[in-house]
Amino acid sequence: MIFEQLAGNLIQGLVLGAIYGMATMGLSLIFGVLKVVNVGHGAFIMVGAFITLWLFTTFGINPIFAIPFAFIVGMCLGFFFYYSTMKRLIKAPELSTLLATFAIGVLLEEIVKLIFGSEFRGYNWVVGKISLGVTVMPMAKIYACIGSILIAVLLYLWFKKTRAGTAMRSVVEDDEGARVCGVNVGWIYALSFAIGIGLVVASGVLLTMFIPVGINPYMGGGYTLKAFVIAVLGGLASPYGAFFGGLVFGLIENGSYTLFALLPGVEPFALTRFLSFVILLLILLIRPTGLLRAK
Amino acid sequence: MKKHIAKYYPLVPVFAAYLVMFFIGKNMSGMWQLMGMLAFYCALGQAFNIFLGMTGYVDFGYVAFLGVGTYGMAIGITRFASFEGLGIGIIAIGFLLALAMATLLSLAVGAVALRLRGAYFAIATIGVNEGFRYLIEGARIWNGSEGIIFMADMNQAFGREMASALSTFWADVMVFIIAALAAVVTIYYMRSKIGYALTAIREDEDAAKVMGINVTKYKIIAFITSASFAGLIGASSWAIKTPYVFPPEVFEIHYTIEAIIIVLLGGAGTLLGPVVGGLIYGLSKYWLAVILPGFQLLIFAPLIIIIIVAFPEGVIGLVKARVKGTKYKIIIE
Repeated sequence: MIFEQLAGNLIQGLVLGAIYGMATMGLSLIFGVLKVVNVGHGAFIMVGAFITLWLFTTFGINPIFAIPFAFIVGMCLGFFFYYSTMKRLIKAPELSTLLATFAIGVLLEEIVKLIFGSEFRGYNWVVGKISLGVTVMPMAKIYACIGSILIAVLLYLWFKKTRAGTAMRSVVEDDEGARVCGVNVGWIYALSFAIGIGLVVASGVLLTMFIPVGINPYMGGGYTLKAFVIAVLGGLASPYGAFFGGLVFGLIENGSYTLFALLPGVEPFALTRFLSFVILLLILLIRPTGLLRAK
Repeated sequence: MKKHIAKYYPLVPVFAAYLVMFFIGKNMSGMWQLMGMLAFYCALGQAFNIFLGMTGYVDFGYVAFLGVGTYGMAIGITRFASFEGLGIGIIAIGFLLALAMATLLSLAVGAVALRLRGAYFAIATIGVNEGFRYLIEGARIWNGSEGIIFMADMNQAFGREMASALSTFWADVMVFIIAALAAVVTIYYMRSKIGYALTAIREDEDAAKVMGINVTKYKIIAFITSASFAGLIGASSWAIKTPYVFPPEVFEIHYTIEAIIIVLLGGAGTLLGPVVGGLIYGLSKYWLAVILPGFQLLIFAPLIIIIIVAFPEGVIGLVKARVKGTKYKIIIE
């Protein structure tokens, strides 16, 4: 019985983990190229969720088609915030960039609150369910999972095959060296920030398929913290590492929840969160390059 | 001897500011609450500045120390309320507990997180703050997520009248004293070997190490000092003033952000900066809440971005550059 429940929860965790992973790829891309930790990460996820909600409730647009739209909106936001703020802070101490990205996040939250109000909202996209033996999975989640894997593969191909993708990888390795080789580093910074934000906003669309009525201007905070844990699991500067980190994190989160629920006199949900931060600290201390990459 | 005292002249404007705030609050009706809030922000900035301003490390989990300080006072009052004859000594016990808990936590956090640098340090400290909160909630330590409500214990220990005087008046007085103490410690550090070592670390940690500075030692000194003041602020301004404590409230990351804004606004690593930053931040927050309720954050967020981009040295940083070489330079630090 308990094993069946555990297996069911682990499958759910793996599917959710794919979304987490995709959401964190944007964070890792931005950190890898610009060496900036985007503390406003969750707010961009929230923007994606509201874009989905708005398209679905006013125009009846299928959330799947909201993904490219959200990606483009995200890229526009990324270019805007890069040229208006981040460009001037690239060489500034961490304090400035951390606080600037935090302020951007707060700004987005407040603007969305002004437009949509602060109550919880949701939408109902009925596409049926599928039974997997140990657990029942709504089809929406399956679509979201497939979508996030597709996006991850596209990003991988883009990095490997295109000129801009190669230039980006060279900037991650050594921006001085890339500059010497004729890479327009300023443009790569802007493009990476825009793509990173685009990915995060797009992941907000996928995430709405997991939280039917949890769309709210302040929903992002928890995801920022989760994204940090995931990014560190994957090595912080590596987008693919982040994707696998997401899968691992989904498994840990759902698996440990099942086990903690067996303990008497505790709150399993909070302990799950506690565990994830213990993992964060352990990885930072023992293997700051992430689980996948060798030192 | 005269020169020895002259080192500490920059304390004059700081103390003057606190005295003026205290007397405005005391003598003008209806101002005490506002002045108490301003004192809280100044004290928060002053305490945080010892670590953030002097080392350049960004501790995103700073509020955790205020949180455990609040718990320290709460536990002190609830455990000792039934003892007869302790009277106001219970408050002293509470402060000692708060101090001990904040110091212990900062030792543990410092031993882990101070091995990391830059963004990794910031992420680790966020992890500590959230992890500690969820440990309290998840393992039901100190009543878990139900928190501790100790209004009744305060009434029992001090009597109703004294308890209400404590939370409406004396808590703020304590915050003023803590703020002043933090300023004294700041100038003492600045004018001693500790300050020079921390400046060297802030500018270039590797170079400081090569020059034979024990970087870990000085970083931990700054970290623990800053954290213990945070514990005291939590114990007075949060625990005594509002006699309850809930984990989601006392570990709320927004307080850390407020502290960072105050330090940055006034000028990181300066003595007068946190006072100026605290006053500007507290007054504008209060004023915006009056004229545009609900829109404070919408106005603050772009303001913060502008300050970071345009005036990264803060108000006192700018003033310091202006008074260089004039006779005022002795009192501006």
